[in-house]
Order: sequence, then C-alpha cells, then structure tokens
Amino acid sequence: MNRIKAFISQESWSPYLAGILLGIVGLLAVLLANTLLGASGAFESIAGLIGKKIAPSVFSNIYWGVEGGRAMPVIRPEINWSVILLVGIFFGGTLAAISSRTFKFRFNDDTQWKRIFGPQPWKRWVLGFLGAVIVAYGSGIAGGCTSGLAISVVCCLCQPLSYLWRDLWFLASSPF
Amino acid sequence: MSTFIIAIILGIGFGFSLNKAGLTKYHKIANQFRFTDMTILKYMMTAIIVAMTGLYIFRGLGWVTFPTVPATYIVGNLIGGLIFGVGMALAGY
Repeated sequence: MNRIKAFISQESWSPYLAGILLGIVGLLAVLLANTLLGASGAFESIAGLIGKKIAPSVFSNIYWGVEGGRAMPVIRPEINWSVILLVGIFFGGTLAAISSRTFKFRFNDDTQWKRIFGPQPWKRWVLGFLGAVIVAYGSGIAGGCTSGLAISVVCCLCQPLSYLWRDLWFLASSPF
Repeated sequence: MSTFIIAIILGIGFGFSLNKAGLTKYHKIANQFRFTDMTILKYMMTAIIVAMTGLYIFRGLGWVTFPTVPATYIVGNLIGGLIFGVGMALAGY
C-alpha cells in the first residue's frame, strides 16, 4: 500500500506509463460514451454560448449556427460532453499536482523561459495569450486540436484559456 | 446525466496523466519542438498505440462501433495545423 502511495506521489511518471493511462482513458471514452476525447471543441462551445448571449448578431453565423437555420452548426453552443470533460481535466490536473505536492500558483517560474525571454511575468502572460489566440484560430480551421485529431491525445494545454489555467491549474513543474 | 459523470471521471484521468507526464511544463513543450526532449512524442504515441489496439479489439468483439470522426479536408487541416503549431510554440502550453 505504501509503495502504491509512493508511486502516485512521484512528481512525474515515465511518459510511456502516463501514455498508457491516457490510452485507457481514450478507450473507455469510446466504450462507455461512444465519444472521442477532444478539447478544442469544448472551448468553442463555451465561446459560442457566451457570444450568443452578448452579441447574438455577430455569433449568428455558419460556425455556431443560425437561429431557425437549416444548416447544422459546426460547433453547437451548448454545455456538452466535452465541456464536462474539460472540467474533469481541470480537476484531474489539480489532483495530480496535489498528489505530488507541487500544487502552487505560478506566474513565471520556468528557468528555460526566463533565460530566453527574461523574468517578467507580464511577458509570459502576453506571449501566452497571443500564442493561445493563434492556437485556437488554428484548431478552428483544422477542425480540432491535437487530441481530437490524433485519436485522443494531448491538447488542452494549448487552448485560449489554458494558459490562464496553467497558472491556476497545478503546474507540477519542477521547482527549478 | 450518467454520461456527464463518465465525462468527469475520464477528464480527471486525462488531466492526471497529462500532469504526471510533465506536459504542463513549458520546457517539455518547447524542447519537443527543438527535438531535444521527446517526452511528448513518447507520451502521445504510447497513448495512440494503446487506444488503437484496444479499439480494434473491441470492435472485433462487437463491443463498440466507432464514433464518426470529422472528415479530412486537406487544405483546412494543413493550414490549421501550421497556425496551431506557431501558436503552440509561442505559448508553450
């Protein structure tokens, strides 16, 4: 039992092991819910949901669907399965960070980043935000992010808000 | 409702494995693109192999039917992928 505990509280696992865990998760998603894992769609659903409340005329287009229109929207603005999955991802990351005691609010503490761009947190935020906007745009055009398009993999780390999340999230990043 | 519970549980598994694999760290993401740290590829490929093998076994046993996947449209995928890569390398998340 203690060995299991010690194993779970390791800061990082072998990528092969973590990959097997993700593979099983992807498998269960199809088996139990007949869905593929994906994250970019969830961000777009949330964006559409908010947008339709704030500026309905702008968000009434082919992408998010037109009221009474016959064409199927590309992204349905609703709380759907993948939005809930996203909530789970958030808590999963938090849980993992707590389990390895690396849960901490961070703003800019990656040594490599600091060495290249400098230590100021605002730079990190600005670059992260710009990068995230580009990522979201790209995934919208491509029709998915890493996870959706490659059976059920990575992603989520690369979405508009994810950068904010990373700081709020967990960050099991090594102290140095 | 029950599918939402499944989604929460699977999401927790997803987030947990991402964190434990170290994909929440900037240097892991950035160094993958510089080919000095292959963590992401090892992680992704392992997941793909496990999921793919399992899915085809399950389909062979008749337990699952594959969900519909988005159709490939090469131009969109290519351009989108390129833009996505720029953003990812810039943000590093």
